[in-house]
Amino acid sequence: MTVLRTEGLEKSFGGLRAVRGVNFTVETGQLLGLFGPNGAGKTTLFNLIAGETRPDQGGIFLDGEDITHLAGWRRVRLGIGRTFQVTRPFRDLTVMENVLAGVPRSDATRPHDERSAYSLLERVGLAERAGDPASQLTLGMLKRLEVVRVLAIEPKLLLLDEPLAGLSVSESAELLEFVVTLKSATAIIIVDHNVRQCLPVCDTAMVMDGGEVIAHGLPEEVKTDPRVVRAYLGEEAA
Amino acid sequence: MALTRLNPAMLAATLVVGGLAAALPLMGASRYQLVLVYYFAYYLALGQAWNLMSGMTGYVSFAHGALAGIGAYATVMAMNAGVPMWLSIPIGAAVAGVSSLVIGATSLRLRGIAFTFATLFFQALALLIVRKLPAAGGAGGLPLQDILPVWLPQLFMILLAVLSTILVMVVRASRTGTRLLAIKGDEAAALSLGIASARLKLLFFCISAVLAGLAGAFHGLFTASLYPDVVFSFDMSITALAVPLIGGVATAFGPAAGAILFVGVGELLDIFAPGLHNVVIGALLVAVVLFMPLGLVPFTVGRMRDRRKDARSPAASGEYAR
Repeated sequence: MTVLRTEGLEKSFGGLRAVRGVNFTVETGQLLGLFGPNGAGKTTLFNLIAGETRPDQGGIFLDGEDITHLAGWRRVRLGIGRTFQVTRPFRDLTVMENVLAGVPRSDATRPHDERSAYSLLERVGLAERAGDPASQLTLGMLKRLEVVRVLAIEPKLLLLDEPLAGLSVSESAELLEFVVTLKSATAIIIVDHNVRQCLPVCDTAMVMDGGEVIAHGLPEEVKTDPRVVRAYLGEEAA
Repeated sequence: MALTRLNPAMLAATLVVGGLAAALPLMGASRYQLVLVYYFAYYLALGQAWNLMSGMTGYVSFAHGALAGIGAYATVMAMNAGVPMWLSIPIGAAVAGVSSLVIGATSLRLRGIAFTFATLFFQALALLIVRKLPAAGGAGGLPLQDILPVWLPQLFMILLAVLSTILVMVVRASRTGTRLLAIKGDEAAALSLGIASARLKLLFFCISAVLAGLAGAFHGLFTASLYPDVVFSFDMSITALAVPLIGGVATAFGPAAGAILFVGVGELLDIFAPGLHNVVIGALLVAVVLFMPLGLVPFTVGRMRDRRKDARSPAASGEYAR
């Protein structure tokens, strides 16, 4: 089932066309990897989907509903959750309070309480730190906390912005392993520079350059696309 | 799973202290003692009003003195116009609340510093308007025409101090309190979790202004005469923020410690160094910000916890030595 659809998304900053005519869909159960060099337009596309910037042209549809002009926080309530390149924990709140902060209390269809937040923390090995201030966590723990914090709001679409940045190879592998387990309930878009580790776990991959999508398909196809190999993935992936 | 929870013992302690303070006149307390308790309650109520908005969200207001002043003027003007006291007090609180919506609606969608400047501007504007307003008595001030027993505003103020402290306690322990603190921690991250920060800030600024308006209304009844240069002096806005900042922002008991210190230091200075009040309070604020950035109460509680932890650690119990 298609969760997200974009149609002809365009965004310019002054003379710079950051996103040009981007069309794509993501479905529940699908992990889409979004790659490209710095300045390719990945983060702008992320921000357009999350509602932090508005497109100049084109549309964004969540479950078929047009959300192009909705404020970011309203999109969250409709089911779009995101993480940030640089972790942004609420440092003075405990780990548990970080997880509960965004959970709507009055919504009976989301019977979240501390117990379910605790079991989420258990899944990423943070349950024992539930009572500690978030400021006491390591970067690896903060990355996991950020994912759990978004999961607590039960997103239909999870946007992971460079979740592996700053993590060791083993930490990255652990986090990716966890992310893959989330696919059954949500559609996931992951942006990361660590193509070597990310690409194998993606169901589809999309590569951008200069604001345009230059390749989109199965990871194996994208990996061997001459334009991608030449310009973006280089020898490493080839 | 340590969450900040509503502590029934703390709640009971607040009610008991409030009850004792209210019963002081029946226990033969001197007039001087009653006035000291009154000012403690006034500073606490005003400090908690500030705490509820600025302490919880990090949006620093310099307008709480003016909001209290508006509450005082609106109440006294209503009573002088023949409106009964029981109705004049909510009118005063409502006018303060509506004033906060005017500031908040225009500045709370922006980030912190814009709001702070808007409140500063509002503080100055309120004084200017009241000084020029003939209906408010102009620069010469406004006397309350009714004569009320002194114990009445004292009792009102103690009630307000207790209720505002309990309100902070309840909000801090609620999911809404967590959301307010999330806004304070990182507003963009809070928005990314669907927290409607603009609405929450406006709502709590309004609640906070109503509390400040009530404090002002009761103080207006207590002093029975309002002078714009005193009521709208910048000192009151500084007091409103200094009390929680010194004691501990976003805590229920921090402002109580701040208010005790404020009243105590004020009394000592009146005896030993009159005229140095602002200098000493300023120095206190700087010292707290430098050495106890979380405030007196969180600092002390943290130190006590650390000591208890140290005492329980294996090293302290001699386990390693064995």
